[in-house]
Amino acid sequence: MTDLVRHKNWDFALTVITVALLGTLGVQSFIGTLYIWWATTAIPGFETTGYGDFVWWMNAIAAPQVIVLVIVMGLCVPKRLFDRTALVVVSGAMLLVGLAAWVLTASFQTGLAVYLALAALIQAGVVVLTVAGARGPSYLTEGRLVKTGSGLLHLGFIAFAIVVVALQRSAFMLPAFWIATAFTMLGTVMAFYADRLAWRKSMRVKVDRSFGNE
Amino acid sequence: MNPAVVQAEIAQLIQTLGTIGAPIQALLPAAAVLLVALATVPAWRPLLGPAVAASAFVLLIGEIVLAWFHWRLYDLAVVVSPDTGRIVGRVAVPLWVESEKLYVWALTLALMAVVIRRHRQELLPGVAIILAVLMAGASLWGKPFTEPLPSFLGQYFGYLQAMASGDPARMFGAYQGMEGARQFYYNTIYMWVHPPALFFAYGTFAIAFVATLVMVRERHSAYETTSYRWARLGYLPLTAGMLLGFPWAIIAWQGESWWWSGKVNMSIMMWLLYTALLHARLYLRRRSMWKWVAALSILAFLVLLLTYLATYIVPGAHSYL
Repeated sequence: MTDLVRHKNWDFALTVITVALLGTLGVQSFIGTLYIWWATTAIPGFETTGYGDFVWWMNAIAAPQVIVLVIVMGLCVPKRLFDRTALVVVSGAMLLVGLAAWVLTASFQTGLAVYLALAALIQAGVVVLTVAGARGPSYLTEGRLVKTGSGLLHLGFIAFAIVVVALQRSAFMLPAFWIATAFTMLGTVMAFYADRLAWRKSMRVKVDRSFGNE
Repeated sequence: MNPAVVQAEIAQLIQTLGTIGAPIQALLPAAAVLLVALATVPAWRPLLGPAVAASAFVLLIGEIVLAWFHWRLYDLAVVVSPDTGRIVGRVAVPLWVESEKLYVWALTLALMAVVIRRHRQELLPGVAIILAVLMAGASLWGKPFTEPLPSFLGQYFGYLQAMASGDPARMFGAYQGMEGARQFYYNTIYMWVHPPALFFAYGTFAIAFVATLVMVRERHSAYETTSYRWARLGYLPLTAGMLLGFPWAIIAWQGESWWWSGKVNMSIMMWLLYTALLHARLYLRRRSMWKWVAALSILAFLVLLLTYLATYIVPGAHSYL
């Protein structure tokens, strides 16, 4: 198997995992909706007696999925910058540091926040390296814009997760939120509209095709 | 402020809106039937483009009338403190709440339908049918001209009656409710940004959905590209609109059970599915992958519809129940 084929299969596997995780989180949201619908009509006073437990369970189920999603982002976005093995090792180490923070502070929220902060640092590094890796106007090539945009929007997503997990009652909540929003939106625009923003078009033109009997 | 005079002036304004807007409201279901007929009978298709444009024009005229109504209402709907007797502010009711939601969605989609260029002939019948449903719903269910803003006007008239009652406890209670709604709901920047961003996204997703159906019928990737272009256009305001809801919810729904509430869950699910779709389509060229992409696109749109309906079905902080 050539390196190119291996790369493509690895990319595809990461995308499938991402889609599957987004799907399972979606299913969780749907089941949560059905439950809340049933509970508020069937259990008198549910909002005061049962809602707290419901939120706890929903957070507990969502947290591992978000962690895996962030791990996949950590493997996916910088895959052209670093060796795959190094990425897996760094991801594992980050997870261990998060676990250690959880054990040491006896707070899952702190452990998760530490893990997300490390993931944000790595992602910020990826964005910087992507930008710095280019010389002169070549930064504005289509492919480079897509990669930077992708890095930025994933960084924005992680920053938003940090706001939700750790900063809801902090004075830094709003500034962090606006930074997360700016990264997400700027990254999305760069990733989606690289073809229009690009200084120099460098990507292959994809030819439309019939799906026939597939 | 004389509460009786204010109430009488608003009642007069509502009557004028009804007189001007009733013909438009009555025209919408008729236009919806016409659009469905033109979309389903192939021989009549050449007239579909002009009919969609005419529908957009009628909706636009109606929106101008509604904007005028809101502007006049802003002048009249003052909130007065019972302590000082001074005006603390005016209620700026956004143009996309309550009875006007479906109308704005219909208008947005109609304007987008007018500007569709790529695969216009193939997309227009499907888009026209969705537009017809929205127009009929806006007229028969929403009734924005003949029964405008029932929730706001109910609360505001209640406030005026409390202010006229002379009972301090009643006056203060009604004032607190009205001023809270003014500060944290109607007059917030959030309410002026979040709903229109989402309705813009809903319009683009409706077109992306139709393009997906055409892709399934024609089995050609060109339609997926069209679907993607509309979906990515909608994904931006969808993400921005949802993100902006977060700090607002923390402040406005303080003490309320909103995190993981029904509508919030459905909105998250919709966003997740569109995110999954935009990831999955990267591998459209893989064998049979187009079927997964099509399934995700169709599912995401169905969830969008459920998300919209959840506001009226599932109880919670983001509910009209």
